[in-house]
Amino acid sequence: MEFKDYYQILGVPRDAGADAIKKAFRKLARKYHPDVSKEQDAEARMKEVNEAYAVLSDPEKRAAYDQLGRGYRPGEEFRPPPGWDSGFEFSGSGFATADAADFSDFFAELFGRMGGGGGRRGFGARGEDHHAKILLDLEAAYGGGTRTITLRSPRQDRSGRVVLAEHSLEVRIPKGVREGQVIRLAGQGAPGVGGAPPGDLYLEVHFEPHPRYRVEGGDVYATLPVTPWEAALGATVKTRVPDGSVEVRIPPGSSSGRKLRLRGRGLPGKPPGDLYLVLEIQLPPADTPRARELYETMARELAFDPRKHTGS
Amino acid sequence: MTDPIVAQLVEETRLTLEEMAAGCRAEIDWVVARVHDVLARELPGADPAHWRFSGTDLLRLRRIRALERDFDAVPELAALVADLLEELERLRARLRRAGLSVD
Repeated sequence: MEFKDYYQILGVPRDAGADAIKKAFRKLARKYHPDVSKEQDAEARMKEVNEAYAVLSDPEKRAAYDQLGRGYRPGEEFRPPPGWDSGFEFSGSGFATADAADFSDFFAELFGRMGGGGGRRGFGARGEDHHAKILLDLEAAYGGGTRTITLRSPRQDRSGRVVLAEHSLEVRIPKGVREGQVIRLAGQGAPGVGGAPPGDLYLEVHFEPHPRYRVEGGDVYATLPVTPWEAALGATVKTRVPDGSVEVRIPPGSSSGRKLRLRGRGLPGKPPGDLYLVLEIQLPPADTPRARELYETMARELAFDPRKHTGS
Repeated sequence: MTDPIVAQLVEETRLTLEEMAAGCRAEIDWVVARVHDVLARELPGADPAHWRFSGTDLLRLRRIRALERDFDAVPELAALVADLLEELERLRARLRRAGLSVD
C-alpha cells in the first residue's frame, strides 16, 4: 500500500488551518463537480479530494494521519505499525455520511477498522449503497434482455494515485426503462459487516445516441424519408421501427415535417409511449436527361410558387 | 456462466424512507426534513413510514445532500442549484436529440 499525501491533494501546506482546508476543498469541489466539470478525470479527482477532505477536516483523523504520515512521500510504500491507533480516542462519528465506501485502500487501512469509526460500517452494519450512471441501447429499453454493464470505480494505482478500474456485471434490464430513471441491483453494493447484508447498486439510466431514433420520455421519434409523389398522392410504405417493422399510410398532400403517430409503439410501459414518424421529402436527383425532362415538365405545367406568401 | 442480475425499476418498486436514507447516506430525519422543505412533492399521508419515493426523488435528494455537505449550502440554496442542474440536463438532452453538440 502506498502513502497518499492528502495535503498535496488539496494543495494546502501541512500547517493549514481548518478554514484554509475548507476553502481549498470547496474550490476543488467546484472544479471537479461531476455535473459541470470539463476535466476528463473529474470523477476520480473528486473522489480523491473527498477522501483528503474527510481526513483533514476532522481534527481526530487529521492528528492520527499527521502522526502516522510523518516522513512519508506520496507513492512511497506505506505500512501502518501494528496497533497504531491505540493511542487515539476516536469519537466514531467520522464518516457516517460521507462516501467512505468509495475511498481508497490506503484510507480503509488507516480508518476503516477504527472502533466504531466507520459509522454505519461498524459491527453488524449493512453495506453501503453504490451509485453509477450507465448508457443503454434503445433496444434494451424496448425489449428488456441481458446486457453487460461495465462500471468504473476508483482504485489506487502503483504510484498511489486514484485511477478508475473497470468491472463488469451481467444485468437483466427491465423492459420499458426510460431515460433518467433508476434501476436497482439488490445486494450489488458494498459488502455488509458482521454478517449483515450488502448494500444495493443504483444505476441511473441514459440512452446511447441512436443514428435513427430520438427519445423523449416514452415517445420515440424517427425520420421517414418519402418521395415527392408519395407525399403528394398518398401511399402506403413499409418501414423499420424499433420493435419490428410497420406499414404506414402517408396521407395525400403531406408536407415535410408532418408527424405520423403510431399509438403505443414508443417505449413499453403503463401507458406505453407513442412512435412518431416525421416525414422528410427527398427529391430524386436531376442527373439524367429523362429526370431533367420530368422536372422541366413540372416546372412548365404546375403553377407552383413556394414563395408566394413570403413577399419575395 | 452465472445467471444475470435482475435489475428492478425503481419507478415501479419505489423506495421506502429507510432505503431513501441509505441511498442518500443520510439520517432518516434529514430525508423527512428535505421532503417537507425542498422535494416539493405530494406524499400520501402524514406518516413517513408509508411514504414511497421514485428514482428521480433519490437522484434529487442525493444531489442536494452532496451540495449541502460539500459547500455547507443551506437546504433552499442546495435545492435551487439542484433545480438548475436538472434544467441544464433537460436542455442538454434536447440539444443531443437535435443532433447538436452540448459543449
